[in-house]
Amino acid sequence: MENSTQNLDAQVLSQVSTLKITAMNLVEGLLTGQHRSRHKGSSVEFAEYKDYSPGDEIRHIDWKVVGKTDKYHVKQFEQSTNLKCTILLDASGSMGYQSPFQDQVSKMEYARNLVATLSYLLLKQFDAVGLTLFNDKIIEHIPPRSKASHFQHILHGLVNISPGGTTQIADVLGGLSERLPGRSMLILVSDFFAPNQDLRKSLKLLSSRGIEVILFHILHPDEIHLPFEGDVVFESLEDGSTLGLDPQDICDEYQKLIQEQINSFKKDCNGLGVDYIFQDTSGPLDQALSYYLLKRKSLTKL
Amino acid sequence: MSLNYSSPLFLFGLLGISIPILIHLLTRRQQKQIRFSAVHLLTQSQKRSTRKSRPNRLLLLIARCLAIALFSLALADPFFSFRQSEAFLSGSPASTVFILDDSYSMGKKSDKKLLFDHAIDFISDRVKQAPDKSQFSLVLASSPTRIEQDWTSDKTTFEKTLGSQSLSFRTTSIGDAIYLSIKLLDSAKHEKKKISVLTDLDKNGWKEEAFLKLPDLSPYSIKLLDFSSLQPDDNKGAIRNVQISQEFLTQSRLLRVQAEIKNFSSTLIRMPLSFFLEGKIIKEELLNLPPGQNYSHEFSYPLRRNQPLNGRVQISEDALTSDNSRYFSFHPSQNIKVLVVDGDPETISHQSESFYLERALNPFSVSLSHIDPTISTLAELSLRNLSDFSVIILANVRELSPGYELELEKFVLNGGALLFGVGSQVNPKYFNEHLGNLFPVKLDSLYQVQDEPLHLLLKNNAHPVMKVFSPKELTEMRDINFDSIYTIKAREDKVFKVGAWFSKQHPAVIESKVGKGISVLFLSSLDRDWNDFPIQPTFLPWIQRWTQYSARGLDSIFGQNLLVGEPFRKSTSDSKERWMVRSPDRGLHLLKDEVFANTFQPGNYHLFSFSSSETKTELSKTLNKLPIGAEPAGSFTVNIDIQESEPGKISQNEIQHFLEGMKIEILEPSSQASKPQGSEGTSLATPLFLLVAGMLLVEGWMLRKE
Repeated sequence: MENSTQNLDAQVLSQVSTLKITAMNLVEGLLTGQHRSRHKGSSVEFAEYKDYSPGDEIRHIDWKVVGKTDKYHVKQFEQSTNLKCTILLDASGSMGYQSPFQDQVSKMEYARNLVATLSYLLLKQFDAVGLTLFNDKIIEHIPPRSKASHFQHILHGLVNISPGGTTQIADVLGGLSERLPGRSMLILVSDFFAPNQDLRKSLKLLSSRGIEVILFHILHPDEIHLPFEGDVVFESLEDGSTLGLDPQDICDEYQKLIQEQINSFKKDCNGLGVDYIFQDTSGPLDQALSYYLLKRKSLTKL
Repeated sequence: MSLNYSSPLFLFGLLGISIPILIHLLTRRQQKQIRFSAVHLLTQSQKRSTRKSRPNRLLLLIARCLAIALFSLALADPFFSFRQSEAFLSGSPASTVFILDDSYSMGKKSDKKLLFDHAIDFISDRVKQAPDKSQFSLVLASSPTRIEQDWTSDKTTFEKTLGSQSLSFRTTSIGDAIYLSIKLLDSAKHEKKKISVLTDLDKNGWKEEAFLKLPDLSPYSIKLLDFSSLQPDDNKGAIRNVQISQEFLTQSRLLRVQAEIKNFSSTLIRMPLSFFLEGKIIKEELLNLPPGQNYSHEFSYPLRRNQPLNGRVQISEDALTSDNSRYFSFHPSQNIKVLVVDGDPETISHQSESFYLERALNPFSVSLSHIDPTISTLAELSLRNLSDFSVIILANVRELSPGYELELEKFVLNGGALLFGVGSQVNPKYFNEHLGNLFPVKLDSLYQVQDEPLHLLLKNNAHPVMKVFSPKELTEMRDINFDSIYTIKAREDKVFKVGAWFSKQHPAVIESKVGKGISVLFLSSLDRDWNDFPIQPTFLPWIQRWTQYSARGLDSIFGQNLLVGEPFRKSTSDSKERWMVRSPDRGLHLLKDEVFANTFQPGNYHLFSFSSSETKTELSKTLNKLPIGAEPAGSFTVNIDIQESEPGKISQNEIQHFLEGMKIEILEPSSQASKPQGSEGTSLATPLFLLVAGMLLVEGWMLRKE
């Protein structure tokens, strides 16, 4: 690992450190600290009392309560598990969209920050985080680890991304669902620009295997509003196909289409119990993350 | 297949395409190229978008360029033909026969020039423009059609021939001219062979029979140049006919000239009609000519002296001047000396044949009828010198003195005329035995009518003698009763003509040529013994006409009215006597072989006779003035054939019918480039203009969207 770090050039290192700082700042500012498990069991944190039934461990009987009430109650604690989270980042060509308007953050940059922040957040909770990059297939896979130093690996993985190729989310998810351990977490970060992909089926499969899935739908404002004017020849970042038109002619229709797609994701995810966060790159990342964490927290407490 | 342009100069308009291209280039917005992530969504949006994409500036440019290009092409007036066009072939030499319609209908005026002159100019231009080594020939289409210039590649020679052409007064015969042209083209050396017909498409020139002799499938293309399109006005009127007659009054005679004028227009025309005699205007009348009808007007002129008169009748000028005049010539007949031999003189004068004949032949005096009868008895006959007379009438003569029939034979053989009227005195036996050489028939028997009298049959009688009789007079003649006649038997090997018939199929008049003379046999009496004829008014002209006819005075040159091109014939018996014709242009022509064929100019032709021992060849050398001693011997007139004046124009369908199987183009000379009208080509101007309009609509629609 040292060697690989040494091999990285200065630019990468600076990017990694910037990413690290960004992620750390974000997490420190937001974090409430813990990642609760839904599985209850023996742990340090008390959850509730339960009537004793044969088979329960005797050592878990709260004798004080027995003394007071003359009834046998078993103490239950919230189980703090070591979560395994795989972050699946779309590294297809479309993620490399760079707006011609200079003051905009690029989509990949935004995704990097997001992934780095999430990784840091999870690692800080001693959860294992892995990173998988894909386009039409898995490009790179960093298995989940919970060591703090693993953050460095993830950062390197993020920095080294060069977007390219077409997106085949369904195939990748299909392949991945076999390999992911049960009751793990999958965070999918993508722009979901994958024509003719039935994502719903793959998500259903993952959910059925008890894998918690969170979708981060990242879009650049240009991709939402189509702010271009004049004669434009659009060249696809994925397959290189071109289309010449005046964007103003189809602007309304395009926006409608994008909105339909977002709504469709929302609806499907709700139905499957999948968390779906739509984020356009113009919005601040911390806001998105805090919103998400808040939501998670409220869900956990239910 | 070919594509030609009527106005190729407009093709320069195609350069106008550069204007929108320049504007496009100058105002072109920079096309941006953006690498984008969601191109498939853009495609999807484009498909779903109800608002179609904005006009592509390139499409707009194409539409504008097309509009300009199509407009230029439309102005250039292209026409498309499935045939190889002339323009396409113009680069290589061709053999061209020019058929020039030089008939008088081409004499219509257009822009102070005649259609004929326009046609000459047109040919001249075409010859000048033709590529070198091209072959030309010139055929004149006026009747009789003729090759005026055989194949020549020398443009100067051709131009010279062309320049010497002048408008004729003849009619057209396009069919014959095309026939001649096809013969010419058969011997032409170039592969490309064409016929150009320069005509006014006058209907008269297109007679079906002339086209029947054309080969069924002629490979040559015919270009018909319709010069009638140049004429600003139509031919309004023409003098169709002029008839001359003389009326005998008590003391004098009147010359009556009846002119028939046709108004070709569809409106009433008021125009003056002038009557000229010897070049001087005598009378002028203002006529109202009803539309599309013939109108007759008669001038009368008192004949004071016994002299020939030449003149013309003329209407005012219209588009075609040739048919506005018609010439006539009047000649008082020369005195015909007639010997009337009365075989049955009666003491009561009005019972004698001679009484009626003398009054019929000369009712007033010699100067009026021009027939000078001498009455003689049979006994006096031998004392007469027969050569003093032109006609001898034997009326009811029983027998001639022995041997005198030979004298008569000699007289007739030398050109004399013998008229024989039968009667009660006639001895058929003598007649049949002694006059066999003079009369081709034998007298058979006396036929006396018992109940119903015989009448003259005068239906459809085309005999020259009968021409002058009006229908009313003919009816009167038919009512005359004939009680007795002689029937006849034909002699073997004798040729004769029945000049008139009685009813019940009995011949009335037998005529036959004997040597240079003629014998006429009337099979009833010339007095009132057997019929009422001599006291009828028609007897006078009838007997006079027979006398004139038999004395060759009837259809002699006097009063001969010919049409342009018809030959004039004059029998000349005396070998030393020469005849000369002075044509209206004062040219003198020697009459050769009794025929004068150069009658191509309308007008009065004068005939002169003179005696000369010189041969005709020697004479023709010095034929620039009248020889000394030449005497006027009459005159004849030549007039145009009025058919050519009829304003009818041949239709395209008829032309195609006549020239079935040939490639025909009907063109108007006014268009500089040849422009097909018929089946030869389709004008693309209209579709192109429609396309321009379509392009402008498309462009407007595109802009409106923008």
